[in-house]
Amino acid sequence: MSVDPNAATQSFPPPPPAHRAPSAARYLVPALVAAAVAVGLGVYGKTHDPAGTAFNLAGFSSTGAVKSWLASIAFFFALIQLVSAFMVYGRLPGPRWSAKLHRWSGRIAFLVAVPVAVHCLYALGYQTYSTRVMWHSVLGCFFFGAFSAKMLLLRAERLPGWLLPFVGGLVFSVLTLIWLTSALWFFRTFGVTT
Amino acid sequence: MKRPGPLLTLLAGLLFGLFMLTLNATTGTKTVSSPYKEKSPAVSTSPTPSTTSRSPSPSPSRTAAPSGVYTGRTDDDSSAVAVSLRGGKAIAYFCDGHNIESWLQGDVKDDGSLSLTGDHGAKLNATPKGNKQLRGTADLAGGHYTFTIDKAKKPSGLYRANSQVAGAKIVGGWIVLPGGKQVGIVTRDGAPSAAPTIDPETGVTTVDGQQLTAHPVTP
Repeated sequence: MSVDPNAATQSFPPPPPAHRAPSAARYLVPALVAAAVAVGLGVYGKTHDPAGTAFNLAGFSSTGAVKSWLASIAFFFALIQLVSAFMVYGRLPGPRWSAKLHRWSGRIAFLVAVPVAVHCLYALGYQTYSTRVMWHSVLGCFFFGAFSAKMLLLRAERLPGWLLPFVGGLVFSVLTLIWLTSALWFFRTFGVTT
Repeated sequence: MKRPGPLLTLLAGLLFGLFMLTLNATTGTKTVSSPYKEKSPAVSTSPTPSTTSRSPSPSPSRTAAPSGVYTGRTDDDSSAVAVSLRGGKAIAYFCDGHNIESWLQGDVKDDGSLSLTGDHGAKLNATPKGNKQLRGTADLAGGHYTFTIDKAKKPSGLYRANSQVAGAKIVGGWIVLPGGKQVGIVTRDGAPSAAPTIDPETGVTTVDGQQLTAHPVTP
């Protein structure tokens, strides 16, 4: 093995750069997970044969109605998310439990959105036959990626102050667009039915 | 300190999603109507006062209102007919597979008979014959047809797809007959033509290079 005798001496192993490595990982892992989630959902929705149907909830006339209402519940809790986030950051007067409110309204919104997404992906799949449907498919996949990134970023330390509000705002905006392209469309097309 | 909360949230969502997916995959009962069903005509909310004065009729020995999907051919073998019934409402589709088609809808009467109407004055009347058959007539597109159609077993049934392909409004209707033969028409901005076949299991078909999904029709 030839060694360049003129090479600058270097301790072995090289010392990890003081802040760079964890810093990169802090962003890289959430970003990669987010990309994997979004792309994974999209690929599943595109390749899997849409089942067309899935089981329904009692009392509702159609899965469209069930999903629209669940999505509206999720959107309602997302609005609480927005308000409670301003409280947590002190931009709005809020109670001491506003952080807890933010955490739990977010959990509820996410868990309510999951069965909707499962039905979308299982029964309908990733579709592009109209502008509304195309955006809904794209943003639906993007949302769960962005949400995963937000959750993982919460665990990281020493983030720039603007990052969490930015990602949170992104998640909220995307959910709003998803709701507009699905539930609002459904209610306008079929009426506000159960 | 690392907070486990967000991870637990993600994990809960993942497990919940997988749980729903297995539930969907394992429950074979497909009782769901599609979001693309026909819009039922707006029910007038103003109650007619005359109904209140009506003397209560003696409890009718009503035959069980028929439900489910009936499919078959017209007696002259030219066209296919499918009727989907649920909860006192009915949607029917009449289709010759080339250029004559009609969607009709209406209510199921107490005695189980149907009197459905569609665009351009189309009419379809039918009465149940036993538990497994509907017998009736259809008057549409200048023709008079008679038919006896049988209760369908999956994947035989009535399917519909609404979509937009390249700016054109696409409406497809398919009757999958017992034995698997399909009769369908796709209209592009109102112009009918023979439809490509659908996969009766999934409803997936390709129209003008665009994949779309036809859904079982329920009223």
